Amino acid sequence: MRLLSGDARRAVFAPLDDGSGRSEAVARRLGSAIALGIIVDGEQLPSESHLAALLNVSTVTLRDALADLRGRGLVDTRRGRGGGSFVRASEDALTELSLGRLREIGSTELRELGDIRAAVGGTAARLAADRATASEIARLREILDRLAAVDEGTRQRRIESRYYIDVAAAAQSVRLTLQEIELQAELGQLLWGTPRTAAELATTIASHRQVVDAIESRDGALARQLTETHIGEVTARLIDVHLDLTRRGQQRPGADTAVLPHAAAGAGS
Amino acid sequence: MSTRRPDATRPVDGPVDGPVDGRPAAQAATVIEGVVEQVFHSVTAVRDTLLAAHRAARERGEPMCDRDITAMRGRLLDLLTGEREVAVGMGVITAPGLLADRPLHLEWWQSEPDRHHPVRLEVDLNPHSVGFYDYAAAEWFVVPRRTGRRHVVGPYVDVHGTHRYLLTLTVPVVADGEFLGVAGADVPVARFETLVLRELGNLAVDVVVVNPEDRVVLSTSARSLAGSLMILDADAGDDAGEVRIISLPDPPWRIVVSPG
Repeated sequence: MRLLSGDARRAVFAPLDDGSGRSEAVARRLGSAIALGIIVDGEQLPSESHLAALLNVSTVTLRDALADLRGRGLVDTRRGRGGGSFVRASEDALTELSLGRLREIGSTELRELGDIRAAVGGTAARLAADRATASEIARLREILDRLAAVDEGTRQRRIESRYYIDVAAAAQSVRLTLQEIELQAELGQLLWGTPRTAAELATTIASHRQVVDAIESRDGALARQLTETHIGEVTARLIDVHLDLTRRGQQRPGADTAVLPHAAAGAGS
Repeated sequence: MSTRRPDATRPVDGPVDGPVDGRPAAQAATVIEGVVEQVFHSVTAVRDTLLAAHRAARERGEPMCDRDITAMRGRLLDLLTGEREVAVGMGVITAPGLLADRPLHLEWWQSEPDRHHPVRLEVDLNPHSVGFYDYAAAEWFVVPRRTGRRHVVGPYVDVHGTHRYLLTLTVPVVADGEFLGVAGADVPVARFETLVLRELGNLAVDVVVVNPEDRVVLSTSARSLAGSLMILDADAGDDAGEVRIISLPDPPWRIVVSPG
């Protein structure tokens, strides 16, 4: 069993600091890690008691969270020798999970997330225009080429996350890079709920390419502006989805609550 | 001679009387080469340890595996915790596929400011993860592999790895023509700057060190910041007007001296 390798993985298994100890928070954390590929398909999770201790939640809470993930088809539990909880990376289940999160989160929280993303991503783009070397710029282009070449939505999201993180690294700022990694992890809980059409993806990639062009022509103001505008659009879209889910929430049939018990209860109240 | 400083907050200095004193540049060159050689000395010792481990595996008649690498730890930690060691991280990174039981492997140890003992660097080696540490594509791995020579990379943000702002010094490890990986060491940019500035002492001029990608490695003045770009006029030669430039052979950095 592979455990705790890399900062992102450490973050996945770090104690939950919101103090609520809610099983939804545990499920969301693990779901996001599966979405981002930090925990991989088929990987065995630590034992219940170990995982509960790592996350600083009771074993009862953890069992609820695992039951939730099992219900969603993201975790498989086998009994007996060689048994345990194993991860199943199912794209549909991830979409359901982030729809639940989008329903539960408030629109002001989404706006706040957009604000901080614009601050970090916009500044990173501006500084990258001042500081990125030719090879760093070539790397950004390579990432966008890869983004255009892959079909699967989950992989597209991960590659796009790497684009934002690499812009921050090209800005020569460790702090901005770490902030961007954190923001992308948070975003990972939400974005899977809003699949993109091919045309939307093409628009996104074109917008990122314009940013890289601005970085290459050393136009920091433009690089920042383009980045902020794009993040503003993504945020508006997330808020629209959230508002839509909330308005429809009370009319939805019981089937939905069976899949997303906690999120639906939260949104309905 | 003209310089372009995207990060600069004031224009390039006006004319001065006569060329600047070249001695600080020569002095800086000596100091930088001293520090770089010292780090490479340790890196060479790390390389020799990997070569010995590889030889031992071959004598057993087996392919190298994980435990041959982990057996190097004692030696690595001795080097890293040596009294005069400049590097804060050290180790070997194996060529993909070298180890029979692990496709990718970093045996990298780091001194942490708040810890007594070095800590092993753990990175995400799953290619599909958002946090994948794609070392086989990193300059510090690719260049020594391609050229067969030692290499200094940086300043750069070691994203998904140590998350430090670094200079990384690596050498290729080759046995009978087979590329086994690289041995290397990390020196934080800030630490390198402190070491060099201490040796240089007080100067009446500004000294800026620029890497081959036009990135400032260190500077004696806030007018040029480490990590920013300083694009030097290629036609200006090594001695033009009020600015004096000398080129180092290895690492191929330039030292720019201008009136303070």
